[in-house]
Amino acid sequence: MHLKCKNLNFLYPDSKSAVINNLSFSMKNPGFNAIFGPSGVGKTSLAKIIVNKNNCFNENIITKNINIILYSYNLERLPGWLNLGKHINKVISPEKLHLKKTLIKIFELNNVLDSRFSNLSMGQQNRINLIRYLLQDFDVLIMDESLANVDEKLKGTIILAIKELFPDKMFLYISHNLMEVSKFCHKILVLGNPSQNKPCFIINGQNYKKKCFLDKKKLNITMLEIMNAL
Amino acid sequence: MLYRRIFQFLIVYIFGILFLLIIKFIFSLSDYVIPNILLIIETAAQVFKEYFFDVINTLSVTILGQCISICMAFFVGISGRKSSWIGSFIKVTAYNIQAYPIVALAPIIFILIGDGFISRLLIASMICYFPLLLSVLGIMATPVKDIEHFYIITGQMKWHLEVKIRIFENLSKLTTVISGSATLAMAGTIVAEFIAANAGIGYSIRIALYQSNLAKILIALFLIGIIISVYQGILEVIGEQIKSKWSISKKGTIL
Repeated sequence: MHLKCKNLNFLYPDSKSAVINNLSFSMKNPGFNAIFGPSGVGKTSLAKIIVNKNNCFNENIITKNINIILYSYNLERLPGWLNLGKHINKVISPEKLHLKKTLIKIFELNNVLDSRFSNLSMGQQNRINLIRYLLQDFDVLIMDESLANVDEKLKGTIILAIKELFPDKMFLYISHNLMEVSKFCHKILVLGNPSQNKPCFIINGQNYKKKCFLDKKKLNITMLEIMNAL
Repeated sequence: MLYRRIFQFLIVYIFGILFLLIIKFIFSLSDYVIPNILLIIETAAQVFKEYFFDVINTLSVTILGQCISICMAFFVGISGRKSSWIGSFIKVTAYNIQAYPIVALAPIIFILIGDGFISRLLIASMICYFPLLLSVLGIMATPVKDIEHFYIITGQMKWHLEVKIRIFENLSKLTTVISGSATLAMAGTIVAEFIAANAGIGYSIRIALYQSNLAKILIALFLIGIIISVYQGILEVIGEQIKSKWSISKKGTIL
């Protein structure tokens, strides 16, 4: 599994300066990787380009052993005419029913399956939205702030569970949380501000997994590296 | 909602009558020009039953015409929702045709089909069809990105699901447009009857006009107003029922 970006430039039609300027990076093997950077540096634009690579960016985004790329974001909504349980059952294949039960338990959503989407808190809405993506067939899942508004403890539990349950998938996690990204991610693509001519870096994260030891000193170094790269 | 509509109409109607009476007194007009209250009540006693059934006759054509125009608007709106060539063609054609006043086409319809039920139905449905079509086209052509994204990216999007999402998300707007188009359909039917039909309240108004009988016209207006208010109120209630049934949710309770 290989995701490679080569000399990518991207400019919005009504903008004078490029959002993404000559970006090149490479991410190999399944795992939890991140795209990190301040607001407006092109994280979401990059995610959308990766998803729509077949439209215009075939030469810039090169993939190997990656067929399906999904993109989820935190403002998505589920249709309001069905309750959550029925909706999830409608959008997944029958063989994923067991995985669905497991995910709902880990994501602590058992009590809200009879509710409509509009009756959930924002954190619950984001969690149920992420579950339906995890229950689809995919090779790469881009999670654009998909766990926003979820409390830190549950967020950690969810990320660790995703790593354990989907060891052969690649995740691109977009977040503004420095600690989270440094702790859980394997490769961190730090996007600098193109208007300030800041280059982009790939930094190694701590890739923390269940039952593993987390070296806090190394974690601090990773965070410092990211801060210096910005 | 139903009572509120009737109440609102009664207020407007009473103000209208008061305005006419004030003009009558200011300019000392005769009962032949503007009838007094007693004459209006006397005329009401004479023609109320006849006019009531005339309005019901008109309303039946209105309802049928509106149903036809709703079906046509949804058919064209759903077909023209895509940004493809055919979708754009349907949209542009609809926008251009609606700019032409349908009432101006009414004489052609009467010449070709003659006066009668079909002409009334055709004009009623055409008059309420175009405003309805523009709203339905607008709703159907606007994606609900935050809901549709999942289905598109996972390849699960079907045309009927897309339509269902857009209708559900714009249910309030659609209910208001459909209920509002009832007035247009009624106006269309009355105009058709007024021009050349042989039945309905528009036909009765035309006869009253030839007799210069304002009292009869005021009674006809009262019945039209009351019955269209009831009809619109019923449409709104049905819309509310559909909305609450479709998006029923377990509300929290305060303990």
